[in-house]
Amino acid sequence: MPDDRLKEMLHTLKLCRYFDERMEALYRQGRLPGAIYSGRGQEGTHVGVASALRDDDSLFPTHRDLSAQFTKGLDLKRVMAQYWGRIDGYTRGRDGNSHIGDWAGNRTFTVISHLPIAYPVACGAALAYKRAGDRRVAMAICGDGSTSNGRWHEALNWSSIHQLPVVWVVNNNQYAYSTPNPLEFHVRTIAERAVAYGMPGVRVDGGDVLEVYGAALEAVERARNGGGPSLIESVSLRWRGHAGHDPAKYMPNGLLERYMAEKDPVKNFEEYLLAEGVVTKEDIGEVQERVEREFDEGYAFAQASPFPESGDVTKGLWVEDGYWTSDAGRGGGTGAD
Amino acid sequence: MATQQVEAGAAGHGAEPRGKRSDDGQATYLIAIAEALWEEMERDDRVYLLGEDIGAYGGAFKVTEGFIEHFGADRVMDTPIAEETIVGAAIGSAMEGLRPVAEFQYADFMTSGFDEITTTLARYHYRSGVPLPVVLRAPSGGGVRASNFHSTNPEPWFAHQPGLKVVCPAFPSDAKGLLKSAIRDDNPVVYLEHKWIYRRIKEKVPEDPDFLVPLGSAEVKRQGSDVTIVSYGAMVHRALEAAEDLAGRGVDVEVVDLRSIVPLDEETVLRSIEKTSRALVLHESYRFLGIGAEVAAVIAERAFEHLDAPVMRLAPPSVPVPFSPPLEDAFLPQVADIEAAVDRLSTW
Repeated sequence: MPDDRLKEMLHTLKLCRYFDERMEALYRQGRLPGAIYSGRGQEGTHVGVASALRDDDSLFPTHRDLSAQFTKGLDLKRVMAQYWGRIDGYTRGRDGNSHIGDWAGNRTFTVISHLPIAYPVACGAALAYKRAGDRRVAMAICGDGSTSNGRWHEALNWSSIHQLPVVWVVNNNQYAYSTPNPLEFHVRTIAERAVAYGMPGVRVDGGDVLEVYGAALEAVERARNGGGPSLIESVSLRWRGHAGHDPAKYMPNGLLERYMAEKDPVKNFEEYLLAEGVVTKEDIGEVQERVEREFDEGYAFAQASPFPESGDVTKGLWVEDGYWTSDAGRGGGTGAD
Repeated sequence: MATQQVEAGAAGHGAEPRGKRSDDGQATYLIAIAEALWEEMERDDRVYLLGEDIGAYGGAFKVTEGFIEHFGADRVMDTPIAEETIVGAAIGSAMEGLRPVAEFQYADFMTSGFDEITTTLARYHYRSGVPLPVVLRAPSGGGVRASNFHSTNPEPWFAHQPGLKVVCPAFPSDAKGLLKSAIRDDNPVVYLEHKWIYRRIKEKVPEDPDFLVPLGSAEVKRQGSDVTIVSYGAMVHRALEAAEDLAGRGVDVEVVDLRSIVPLDEETVLRSIEKTSRALVLHESYRFLGIGAEVAAVIAERAFEHLDAPVMRLAPPSVPVPFSPPLEDAFLPQVADIEAAVDRLSTW
């Protein structure tokens, strides 16, 4: 990978980490409405897999995969407007927090809570790519808990039958809310389930973004070249609770500390780039300054963006009402006026 | 009425061929649905079908008999028994510009795809602005001794989830025109074809490939001046049968066929009430919290001053659809029940 792409990857990783930390702080201060679902500690998985996609490939993420969405091109300003329920958010205030996507802009699916509900939908996108013969790829992400759900198996089975150009990613962060892996499945790894669906399966270290990227690129290229679906299990730890309200006291002592010390994808990647001479410590400091500036700009943009107009509440349900193909009303005020 | 009864008997699933139009242009409901699919697939390459056993077998009721030979396996796609993924795949392909028509083998099995229908398909456009031109076809309804897992009327479930249009045709021409409109619509449409009607009702059906019946428009199927029966689906035919009997006794019944549940054509219903001042709402889905409750409330709110009697409802009790003939007959509104209800209304 060329140096400029490595540096861009570093920027994305640090942006995602900083965003996650600052949003949690705002949530705890009572300054952020709704919910937050931290992806901290899993950025290696998210940035690694999404970096393997082309702009016109599609991504079907979950609420915890904002880092993958940022990698795919989501605009931080509009993301933050979404968190504050503003008209410039991607859903125009019709949904909140990381239930976000931008299909027309960068082929990311607008996230739905029920997991893995996007897995079957990714099959459909991949079906369209195969039929068009345009060498595009669909990628779907879910967590370890989702692999217990019937849809996960339906989708893998279907994709295999039709040899669809799709990459199935499982972000195994070891907890489904409070439920650990042994209460979700009895197999040794999730990756080995690929055998049952006649597709390649691989398990990678989510603490190493380049290892994840390498596996994802291989799977994406296989799909692009007609080789059918693949399964990637990327192992990390969910550093925070399921959502902002959850202190995750069910995690055994020492587990988080070990992962933070040994499997921090951001720190590991910085150390790798320093050792390889790709960046200097000063470069890393500049990246940090840049992401903090970007966050502050995003925050200011979100606060200045108006709320949706309450009179528009019923609009946008049906295509023919034209709400989504016209400019949205901006008379809802910001709460500060 | 041009409608007539053809062969009685079971729903017609099995190996019986779909059949053809008669020489004078009469087509069954089954044939009319097949024609709509065929014409829309000829008209627009983006339209394709997916579902269980719809290819070589031609579908459980033979709607798609002969399709795979003409359109190929890519456009007449046999799927695994995986309803969530049938719906999900339809959604994903619609996001990429295709116009899928997914067939459920029976409307009962829509529960197995319920989450994708109500959570993804219905709500996606409101949240994202991405149109999902998906049609879900499903044979619904009872009266064919098919017992509770093959006789469901699921229209209230889907009508209660914002974002889905819901269509329940009663006549072959409406079935054709509504399905063509559904396929051309940019919103998701749940298209419920009543299996009792499939081979029993036929009429002269338009052959114009651009013949459309708009979604959300009811139609008066029988003019009358004394009592209005508002209904849809197979019960429209029972209402018409009752109306003929009642006419012999001097009660002039008007029959309004809703045709679409969502959008609901309130105006056609209200115009009829203004004329007759008496309303019976009749349907095959459950009475409790049902379509009739909504129609009755609309009439009460918007036409109270026109009413000469309380709005009445006739619909099944809240139990699963039973199998044994005396039980199913007791469950479904019968012609005699309709006549008794109209008599009560007209003498109120």
